[in-house]
Amino acid sequence: METIAVIFGGRSAEHDVSIVTALASVIKPLELTRKYRVEAVYIAKDGAWYWDEKLKDIALFTSGRIQDFIHKAPAASVQFDGGMTLVKASGIAGRKTVRKIDVVFPAMHGTYGEDGALAGLLDMAGIPYVGCGLAASALAMDKVLAKQVAAAHGIPVTEFLVFDRRELEHEPAAALRSITQTLRYPLFIKPAHLGSSIGITRAADETALRNGMEVAAHYDDKILVEEGVPNLIEVTLPVMGNGRLTPALLERPLTRAEDFFDFETKYLQGGKKGGGKAGKGTKGAQGYSELPAKLPGDLYGRAEAAGLAAYRALGCSGIARVDMLIDAKAEKIYFNEINPLPGDLYAHNWNRAGVSNVDLVQKLVQLGKERHQERASLATTFTTNYLQQF
Amino acid sequence: MKQHLLAVVSPYLPMYPATVVYMLQNTEYRAGPYLAWYWRTQNFARVAARRQLRLTWAARLLLLALTAGMLLEIAAGLLLIALWYYRGFTGGWAFGLALLVAYPVVWAHLVVVPLLLGRLCIVKPRENRLIRASEHIFRQHPGMKIAIAGSYGKTSMKELLLQVLGEGKTVAATPANKNVAISHAYFAKALQGDEDIVLIEYGEGAPGDVARFARITHPTHAVITGVAAAHLDRYRTTQAAAEDIFSIARFLPDKAHCYVNDESAAAAPFIEPQFQRYGHGGALGWKVTDVQVDISGLSFVLAKGKRVLRLRSGLLGRHQLGPLSLAAALASESGLSDGQITAGIARTKPFEHRMQPYMLGGAWIIDDTYNGNIEGIRAGTALLRELPARRKLYVTPGLVDQGAEAAQNHAEMGQLIAASGADVVVLMQNSTTADIRRGLAQAKYGGEVRVEPRPLDFYTNLAHFVSAGDLVLMQNDWPDNYA
Repeated sequence: METIAVIFGGRSAEHDVSIVTALASVIKPLELTRKYRVEAVYIAKDGAWYWDEKLKDIALFTSGRIQDFIHKAPAASVQFDGGMTLVKASGIAGRKTVRKIDVVFPAMHGTYGEDGALAGLLDMAGIPYVGCGLAASALAMDKVLAKQVAAAHGIPVTEFLVFDRRELEHEPAAALRSITQTLRYPLFIKPAHLGSSIGITRAADETALRNGMEVAAHYDDKILVEEGVPNLIEVTLPVMGNGRLTPALLERPLTRAEDFFDFETKYLQGGKKGGGKAGKGTKGAQGYSELPAKLPGDLYGRAEAAGLAAYRALGCSGIARVDMLIDAKAEKIYFNEINPLPGDLYAHNWNRAGVSNVDLVQKLVQLGKERHQERASLATTFTTNYLQQF
Repeated sequence: MKQHLLAVVSPYLPMYPATVVYMLQNTEYRAGPYLAWYWRTQNFARVAARRQLRLTWAARLLLLALTAGMLLEIAAGLLLIALWYYRGFTGGWAFGLALLVAYPVVWAHLVVVPLLLGRLCIVKPRENRLIRASEHIFRQHPGMKIAIAGSYGKTSMKELLLQVLGEGKTVAATPANKNVAISHAYFAKALQGDEDIVLIEYGEGAPGDVARFARITHPTHAVITGVAAAHLDRYRTTQAAAEDIFSIARFLPDKAHCYVNDESAAAAPFIEPQFQRYGHGGALGWKVTDVQVDISGLSFVLAKGKRVLRLRSGLLGRHQLGPLSLAAALASESGLSDGQITAGIARTKPFEHRMQPYMLGGAWIIDDTYNGNIEGIRAGTALLRELPARRKLYVTPGLVDQGAEAAQNHAEMGQLIAASGADVVVLMQNSTTADIRRGLAQAKYGGEVRVEPRPLDFYTNLAHFVSAGDLVLMQNDWPDNYA
């Protein structure tokens, strides 16, 4: 039986979202397959790693008992020994408990996890893992780079400007001037590296713009300011695959026109902003949405194609979710951003597309192993007489 | 090794008294089945796999008494050992140790004594008085008394008749699946005496039961829903069960008022010429045509001479055509109008855990966990074959109480499942699994077979296994008191 380590938590603003993704959407279905031994590996907010069966219980986190656990439990370490082995003190006569890992399933969102940092570590360890690789994760986690790559592949993006935090601190007036001269309101101000819509502000005037830039600069040193799309339909498309891609269903979050799908709407209000008058829809893990999205004319097909093109352009593998913005009047589709590990894997959408949770995690593990095998077959060394010259 | 060790120490774990009470509760506090279960149990830590102890007042009382008794015995054992150690009490250590080792077994058996005494001295005499009184009530009742007997489908048939006949008549029926003599007696007490029709379900479980029920309830009509292997722990053979069920005809004033489901192969040899048959083709001269089956029910046309009824029922599956036709035909003979019959049939819907559909995350689940016989499997697998779905899953633990016919019936079950078009078959691991798999192999089943060692885990996490467009048929239940 293969052993899969599910790594979650982490030093990220999306720490809590990661816990829910791991426990509800990854560990449980993996265990239900009865094909794998599943090890829960939790990275606390201070970066310490813990490995324990108790970490599979959501009540440990919801009750706050996790703090007691961290206080008492020995931290785990990871050994890279031609693969990956988890190590922790067993508490009995100084003995250590070890577990060789066959596959890693990262369930991390945001920094030090979803941004390619963990993928890089696992690449170094030479172990198969689920989800996007280092380069795709790093690109996807930088909204600016992602837009630039998409644009370079001919996928339309909205007009945008990029600022460094220091630039904003030292010359805020110049930054504001360049924005107001180049872009049209309403504007969206985003930290370039955060997911789950954290730190995003919609600005309809200069006051809101100033505030938004302050908020974004609080979270990130790279700030993206972009134009809003008129007659907006927001859609998102989960995609799975390495070379051959499988799209799930285009989903339309049901928010009011003046709102956007921010963290509070996604995770805290069950998707219903403005008193829950979002209308009819499917209640997924992240709230109410129209699933599949009802789009006029051939927009559905075009948006799906654009989503798949963006997935390929950024070099994604395993799974990702592509967010797009549609100008319903002009029937124009813009790439917005890509999420290399969607919260809860977007399982509700996959379920509607005919993929059960148990099948989803199995397919993702299989895709991770296939990519690993493909990479292993590539030559990584090159014999030269370079050293003999010295 | 770890499992063996756990099995050995399991009677000494703190949860053991609750486990014993759980076993008593799940065998309805009957000494025989409880002791049979107890003696065959190897690991008491694994008994409660499907349900949990319900803390009723009786359960609380027993738990308290059992725990107190065990603690007393432990104290006595320790006292004897202490007396031997400090006072040189001869044999104290041996007797003390024996008490300490034996207390789980001793109290698991002692707990039965008050139950047996209570049943013999209090419950039985009171029940016998009630049953005798009910015989008089039934004998005097002027209404049409329809007994419903058979190995399966009795409760559904009774509810169906209640709904359809109730459209135009005053009808009383035994409640839920309360179908033994004492339930009949309580039911008789509640009768007003002015009912047009009284429906009495017969829950036979051992040879002679049906005749005994009939002597008390004095039926004027009888419906035999079918014969299949059930309760073979007592009947031994399906033939014996059929003989018992068909004995009801002897008690009817007119054998023409005995209605038999002619789709039941095991019932066929017992059908006498005077009996009237019903089935998917119709009943009592009414003919069925234009049948349409979907997940929300059944539509069909029922015609006799110039009378044509276009009927729609919420019941699932073609096997319901016979009972629905009989209900409509009996309603017609009782003087109900076409409108009343149509309205009554339209009101019928699946009963709890009997071909009851519900949606889960975009998948259709058909809950038929109350079913427990091969004929139900036949009907369920036929329905699975007929309904369209993106992916079909069939889930079952197998059938209980199949006696010597268990291997044969489960192999047949495997063959029926294989023919149902199921893409995935999920079997709950138990003594029947190998026979079902044998049947699947015989039928060259090519889909996925998944064997679940922990059924509760599967049932409670069903949502993780299904997705939109799936159709899942869950048949039969397997209580913890079966191996």
